[in-house]
Amino acid sequence: MELKTFPAIIDSLDAIRQYVKEKSQEAGVDKKATYNLLVAVDEIATNIILYGYQNVGLEGNIDVFSEATPNQFKVIFEDDATPFDPTTRELPDEEDFNLPLEERPIGGLGIYLTITGVSDFSYEYKNNRNRNIFVVDIKSP
Amino acid sequence: MDFTITSEVVDKVAKLKLTGELDSLSARVFQKEIEKVALESPTELVLDLENLSFMSSAGLRVLIFSKQKMGVGLTIYIVKPQEIIVDTLEKTGLQHSVNIVDQYPV
Repeated sequence: MELKTFPAIIDSLDAIRQYVKEKSQEAGVDKKATYNLLVAVDEIATNIILYGYQNVGLEGNIDVFSEATPNQFKVIFEDDATPFDPTTRELPDEEDFNLPLEERPIGGLGIYLTITGVSDFSYEYKNNRNRNIFVVDIKSP
Repeated sequence: MDFTITSEVVDKVAKLKLTGELDSLSARVFQKEIEKVALESPTELVLDLENLSFMSSAGLRVLIFSKQKMGVGLTIYIVKPQEIIVDTLEKTGLQHSVNIVDQYPV
């Protein structure tokens, strides 16, 4: 696993996306799947930075691990903020999506895009750290 | 990539041009710009996204916010979005609430 550490500040989002994009492309993930992965990592990184650190007055880092095999590209975010499992968020459903914009609930879109944007998204709390795990299956060309 | 936004309101039509990547950081700038043009009570919001290469959920939330802020009478046009951004709009059902067009005026 390769590791790169970013300060848990909102200004890191761009650098985290660029880093994951580079690794994803190196791993052979196609353009569209890479884009969807970037939407997913951006969402989770934003949540960690805002709710794990910034809004509670803490400083810290996000460790970004990545690993590529011929069939799979995996990214893991680790942080030391308060345990938070994003998969417990209530997801918007078809009914919400059909509501006119002015009546739509504003939350939950990000986690929906995260879960639907990768082949597998999971969360675990291990060794006192949050671990958000993104897996993208690599399609053979 | 740096995010830039320009806006003008002429005859109740608010035109905004977004360039770069729209994430949670730049979505704040986008939202401020929406709040600014909302003061002139536009009836049409025209978003030129031809040069926008990334849109996170924070960007989608500002779209929803626009409609909630400016009211049901507001028509939103999204001009020349990149295909990958159209995918996100479709996946989240937002394409029903906006008009995706190749040019404005349509």
